[in-house]
Amino acid sequence: MKTIHEQTSLVVVAVIAMMGLVFLAVPNLSAAQVTGVAAFNPPPCDYNDTFYKDNGLDPNQVFGRFGTARRTGPPATGKQVNWVADSTCAQRDPDRRNFRILATTGGFPDDGTGTPTEFISLLGFVISPQAFETTYSRTVGAINGGLDGDQQNAGEVISIAASANPRGITMQTLVSNFEAYPAVRQRLAGGQIALNPCQADMVSNLAPAQPCFDLGNPNAVATPNLRQDWRFATNRNAMDGSDNNCISNDPTVCTQPGTTGTAPAQNDSPFGYFCDDLLGMWVNTYFWFTVDPADHTSPLGITCTPILKTLGQTNGLTTDGTPIVKTANELNVQLEANGCAAEAKMSFAGTDKGPVWDVCPAIPDPRAGAIAPDAFLDQVHNSNGVPQNLGLTLNFLSLQIFGVFFNELTSGQQSQVNSASTTAAN
Amino acid sequence: MPTQVPKKVSRRDFNRLAAGAAAVAPFFLFPDRAPAGQKKLKIAKWAHFVPQYDSWFESMAVEWGRQHDTKVTVDEIPVEKISAAAAAEIKAAKGHDVFMFPWAPAEYYQSAIDHTEIYQQVASKYGSIPQLAHRSTLNLKNKTHFAFADFWAPSPLQFRQDYWAKVGLPLGPGHYGSLYSGGKQLRDEFGIPCGLAFTPTLEGNITLHTMLYAFRAWILDAGGEVMFNKSVFAVSALQYLQKLYKESGTPEQLSWEAGGNVRSMLAGKTSCTTNAISLLRAAEKQDPAVAAKIWIQPPLLGTNGVGVTALPHITNCSVVWNFSQNQDNAKKFVADLIDSSRTAYTTSLGFNFPIYPKTVPDLIVRLTKDPQADPALKYTLLKDALHWTPNLGVPGFATPAYMEVFNSFLVPKMVQSVLKGESSPEDAAAAAAAAIERIADKWKQIG
Repeated sequence: MKTIHEQTSLVVVAVIAMMGLVFLAVPNLSAAQVTGVAAFNPPPCDYNDTFYKDNGLDPNQVFGRFGTARRTGPPATGKQVNWVADSTCAQRDPDRRNFRILATTGGFPDDGTGTPTEFISLLGFVISPQAFETTYSRTVGAINGGLDGDQQNAGEVISIAASANPRGITMQTLVSNFEAYPAVRQRLAGGQIALNPCQADMVSNLAPAQPCFDLGNPNAVATPNLRQDWRFATNRNAMDGSDNNCISNDPTVCTQPGTTGTAPAQNDSPFGYFCDDLLGMWVNTYFWFTVDPADHTSPLGITCTPILKTLGQTNGLTTDGTPIVKTANELNVQLEANGCAAEAKMSFAGTDKGPVWDVCPAIPDPRAGAIAPDAFLDQVHNSNGVPQNLGLTLNFLSLQIFGVFFNELTSGQQSQVNSASTTAAN
Repeated sequence: MPTQVPKKVSRRDFNRLAAGAAAVAPFFLFPDRAPAGQKKLKIAKWAHFVPQYDSWFESMAVEWGRQHDTKVTVDEIPVEKISAAAAAEIKAAKGHDVFMFPWAPAEYYQSAIDHTEIYQQVASKYGSIPQLAHRSTLNLKNKTHFAFADFWAPSPLQFRQDYWAKVGLPLGPGHYGSLYSGGKQLRDEFGIPCGLAFTPTLEGNITLHTMLYAFRAWILDAGGEVMFNKSVFAVSALQYLQKLYKESGTPEQLSWEAGGNVRSMLAGKTSCTTNAISLLRAAEKQDPAVAAKIWIQPPLLGTNGVGVTALPHITNCSVVWNFSQNQDNAKKFVADLIDSSRTAYTTSLGFNFPIYPKTVPDLIVRLTKDPQADPALKYTLLKDALHWTPNLGVPGFATPAYMEVFNSFLVPKMVQSVLKGESSPEDAAAAAAAAIERIADKWKQIG
């Protein structure tokens, strides 16, 4: 798939950027009105309590749960609301409750392309392992007395014992296979850049522990606190081989590095995000820069400044003035390997007081109606109000108006998206 | 201890015995001698951690010998003496016909036959060579297989659930950050240290090679070039280990001999370790109440883009020496071993995970219904072990250079020098990198 940047008119982008437009939702346009594409993918709704419990999570311990809390406020701005009551949610999917999610958070899939095609619903945060159930039991499908009393069925038991589901898997274990990468702002109010989080167990030896940026509140990963858009490892899916994961034992089928062949195995994960992680949960892997981009004198600065500069020229800059990181290679190989960045997870004990895990299911296919006309894009904006990643904006609007990604549009439709975005902004 | 397995006495042998004591006396006086004309097969294997497996193996070898008119001897060698024993045989160009290693014996490829034909023979029954075997036994330079792998053992995290629950981690630490913070709290508040093995032992080697891999401090790259200490990851990993040991460890971690981490867990002295499930099996036998408190989890979640991963505690690799006088018989025995994989799994109490999944097709059911498991589904967490277990040598193959690094205990020695305060992480990483370079260069020249 071609990248957004390849297909976006640089002129249009430049004009939009110069105008300082803030892309908002497009309330006057609907997918059906514009495209005629069948809207067969339903927009996202919150899960109902039973579904949370069936999957090992206590819904009462999901902090800031959409449908219950955070109706206004970040990521919503102005008159926006993050969710609305919608009686069709449970009709379309009995595992949902009647609150439809408008706040649609964008990000980069961890597939190495750096293409912003990921859209999720940040339903809530989990800050303590106590949210994971240790025991639970519910019988479903029991029938007693149908067909004049002849029909009997004891039903099936959905259970959790010793924290494990009937498959013997704990939700915490399962979720730990799926990493989301929030990039929390490092630049402090006074303009100084902090090179480590304040959570002592997360501090990297590569940089001074003070000053620090604090992750110790449940809203730490809310968009206003981010320096760049999210990255999600939705590609970790062993079930269908969609991540180039070697699922065959035959080395002639699954070629490996160092052998003849061109398809190295990657991201070998025992679970599939969309087929095992039914709540769409993630474990947060926080990543940050260990060097000030203005540091040209320290040994680390001398090493890192050229790397940061090159990456910034390729990807653009975050709100901190550091480079945007789009791929695992950029983070792990270009930055972390040279000591220019570090990453850590919060303690699973919950002692760091921030979001250890998120309930933020990715929309499996954001096309064909999944992005509703009244949804809005939750993305990082630069200080001048311009979206940091215009490719993400254009993708969102294309999905909302036409039900397809921007690079799937005709050139005429792309012009309409650009016009619509301009109109909406005005 | 050598186990002589004399061939069952046949009618012809009986007649010969009856002919005169002088004729048969040598047979009894020197029981390792086979009757004239009878084939011989000498097997050396590492002494299994589940003792009853070795008893079964010897019986199985007896039966195999009976069926193939072969006198079989089995010598069991403690794991810590395997390398020396193998080296001595190679030097003398004589010894056993089959030598079974608990890891990939890549550095001995010049003394091994090409085992490809054994893989091909097995393929007709159980499918083509699986990845773990392929990457553990292929010689990349000449595309031959220097060994035949038939089973492996995963290395899950084993932890005292009752201890970790006290620090808010009832399901164990989950990742290396929580291992440190939870481990520190456990020692600070309850005096219970973390019990990972840091010594030049098999478990120390596996634990520390796993940790380096999980921190992306890789030894060699996929092409066999030295990667160690060419990024900050090596020093970062050593700094982490230094902090982990200092704030959550015990001095015993630096002095344990083979099995020390297991004994310490069984005694309730430590809160967690990484090991094969022989630890739990020993606990179940020794004290079921303690065993119920030891839970297992998949390995810790790595950093720097490395997911949940742990190297195999055992990769059982059989080598038929090229100086063996009984190569045909040896190859036949090794190939036939695969037919016994199901029994081997049972007899080893689930320790031996089959290389060929078809040999134990109900593995997940067996894990789920393990009769000793308390809680009931304890062993089910191993069902995905193959997904999180790469081969020794990852991200490349088990090459001679990597395996020499492994068998010279270069990594535990490096870590110990840091933990004992003899070297800084930076100096220790640099010294180890230089040693790895020398080893890699040597093998490049050997070709």
